[in-house]
Amino acid sequence: MVGKLSAVVLFGPGIEAAELTALFPLLTFIIILFFGRYLPLKGAIPGILATGGALAVSLWGVADIATGAGPRQETLLTFVEGVAGDGVTLTFGILIDPLAILMLTIVSLISFLVHIFSLGYMNDEGEIDLPRYYAGLSLFTFSMMAFVFSDNLLMSFVFFELVGLCSFILIGFWFREAGPPSAAKKAFLVTRFGDYFFLIGVVAVLGTFGTAQFAGADSFVSIATEQLENGGTIMNTFLGFGDGAWITVIGLLVLGGVLGKSAQFPFHTWLPDAMEGPTPVSALIHAATMVAAGVYLVARMYGFYVLSPTALSIIALVGGFTAFFAATMALVKQELKQVLAYSTISQYGYMMLALGGGGYVAAVFHLTTHAIFKALLFLGAGSVIIAMHHKENMWEMGGLRSEMRVTYLTFLAGSLALAGIFPFAGFWSKDEVLFETLAHGLGGSPVLLVAYAFGALAVVLTGFYTFRMVFLTFHGEPRTELAADPEPVRWNVKFPLAVLGVLSVVAGFINMGVLKEIIGEGNLFLHEFLDGKTMDADLDSVGLSAHHYAEVLESDFAAGYEVAELNPLGPGAVATVLAVVPVVAAWYLFRGPDVEPKMTKLGSVRTLLMNNYYQDEYQVWLARGLTLPAAKVANKFDQGIIDGVVDGAGGVSLFAGERFRKIQTGVVTNYAALLTLGFLLLALVFALVGGWI
Amino acid sequence: MAVSIEWYLLLSAAVFSIGLFGILVRQNALMFLMSVELLLNAANINFVAFSLYWGNLTGQLFALIVIALAAAEVAVGIGIILVVNRNFDNIDVTEAATMRW
Repeated sequence: MVGKLSAVVLFGPGIEAAELTALFPLLTFIIILFFGRYLPLKGAIPGILATGGALAVSLWGVADIATGAGPRQETLLTFVEGVAGDGVTLTFGILIDPLAILMLTIVSLISFLVHIFSLGYMNDEGEIDLPRYYAGLSLFTFSMMAFVFSDNLLMSFVFFELVGLCSFILIGFWFREAGPPSAAKKAFLVTRFGDYFFLIGVVAVLGTFGTAQFAGADSFVSIATEQLENGGTIMNTFLGFGDGAWITVIGLLVLGGVLGKSAQFPFHTWLPDAMEGPTPVSALIHAATMVAAGVYLVARMYGFYVLSPTALSIIALVGGFTAFFAATMALVKQELKQVLAYSTISQYGYMMLALGGGGYVAAVFHLTTHAIFKALLFLGAGSVIIAMHHKENMWEMGGLRSEMRVTYLTFLAGSLALAGIFPFAGFWSKDEVLFETLAHGLGGSPVLLVAYAFGALAVVLTGFYTFRMVFLTFHGEPRTELAADPEPVRWNVKFPLAVLGVLSVVAGFINMGVLKEIIGEGNLFLHEFLDGKTMDADLDSVGLSAHHYAEVLESDFAAGYEVAELNPLGPGAVATVLAVVPVVAAWYLFRGPDVEPKMTKLGSVRTLLMNNYYQDEYQVWLARGLTLPAAKVANKFDQGIIDGVVDGAGGVSLFAGERFRKIQTGVVTNYAALLTLGFLLLALVFALVGGWI
Repeated sequence: MAVSIEWYLLLSAAVFSIGLFGILVRQNALMFLMSVELLLNAANINFVAFSLYWGNLTGQLFALIVIALAAAEVAVGIGIILVVNRNFDNIDVTEAATMRW
């Protein structure tokens, strides 16, 4: 600890003090929990300070790594010690590499802005129970930070679960109404279902490799790579699987948790319902914490996933399909936040598509830009919701752009980024996702081409639903009196919007992949950063650099992907056209002062989409029709047989005791007689056995 | 001339039997206590007799311990009898039977 402090004093906070990013929010959580109700603004100030501090530390860490420091891996706490090389050692540790520090920065930035926004959305609106709200936000930030810098899978799992718990607490914040508690329960149960597989995956990793470390020569990733490359028996497989197949099984088990948290098909059903929570919480969940956790986990152990072509194909297919599938549902939604919810599912689908398609940098890039523009869109929606006195139906809005200048302009920037219009942030990242998938697909993986086709179709839908939303909300004439005279919002709403609005425009320039033939690969900053090129130490040696992943990905013993030579300008042009055309179409359909509902022309397709393909219905049917009867049978067995045996034993001894206690007369003479008789009897037995008589 | 061991044993058995009879039939708590003393002292006789027979002092030592124990037991026993007398107005052991179940 003293060494730590002196390191901080000598070298500045930066990566040597990256734990602080989690410790600050933890501290504020405790403070707000106990003293929140006595604090001014009910605990908002400590939250803002803590996340602001975490942001400063993270930015310092980025600067550290950009100027040569890192990576840093350190065990902080050993809670189970392996006995003399036998058994496993379970630890909590910290791993700071370019990926982790980038994610820490995103989380702290979004959390910081969400705290400020909450002043406008919660405090100014006179909500009650605010200490509970701010304590929840702090705990949420803490869990996500600790999850991000976890250096092993077990620690990841622990904080992954804590993130899930926090989302439960915050989605159900307004528990006095009917909707939020039910939505919170649904989010918790659906993600828990996925996490169950993750838990088995963690145990399988520990059983197979004896370690759950992410990085270094002793990590499970390295052991698996070594085994596949050179053979031998350095890992245990179970159930008669071969090495490669067993690695795939483990990858898919962990993927269960990822699909649940990142709301991928078929576990996406919880996310639209989670809109019942306060809007700033939605921004936090969708941009930086809960939903991002799943994709981040795959990126974190990407060195493991590149070993399994099957797992990668499944990730790519699920991702591409989810991107498309969720986008279709967003087309017909009438509530502002619902559209955004489905766009979140769709965009995380893109990230999964990139990861499955071998585009590690593309996925992290899209995670970054999406965090910015999706937080922006949610906060913008929050601003509209304040203005509309908590009405969310877009058909009751219209014409808001003249009254809400800042909100309109920033929301527009976010929408352009989401739709992927040049040169906004989303364009660069979405284009890179599609380019990487296409390049690897053309290299000889037809599955990826299918996934790419889904992704490209989803681009069209994205542009359309995004601008349908923009036109319905901000353009035309106000359709209600409320929309004609919206409530003004204050600086605490406008400031986060302005920051994120600017970032939505410029964030894409950190990695202008489309232009790499023109500006040179060395100028793709994010690519260089994730590759560890800025660091003095060799990021390859711990197996965390982008080109190490690419190398393994293209090895025959691993996924064996081939990359087709492809000029990124061509697919870039295609993606641009795919994005611009639907925006124009949306403008054509929803322009003018009096907008008529157009989507009703879709008829029964619209009904299907409005009902979300009856996904909820079939999942409820699964729960009621399958799980409930099974649970009832199990309950019968438990109550009848297990409990019956125990109750029976108790009953027999109770009955026997009832009878036997009568020999206790309380008369001391009787006891003496019994003693004597007993002794005589014993003597008689001994005499008989001993043969004295 | 020494008395042979059989006589001691016979005496001991007789004392023991008197004691046993006492605790089985007496109702007066004091008599009950005395009967217990008889049982203890029957054992003491045996200890001392065998000690003499084998020429080993261990038995006598045991007898001393038993005497000390008996003294302590009498102290406790008489205490109990006093309390029984206070509660039941007599010292009949068959009446103090209210704490069974």
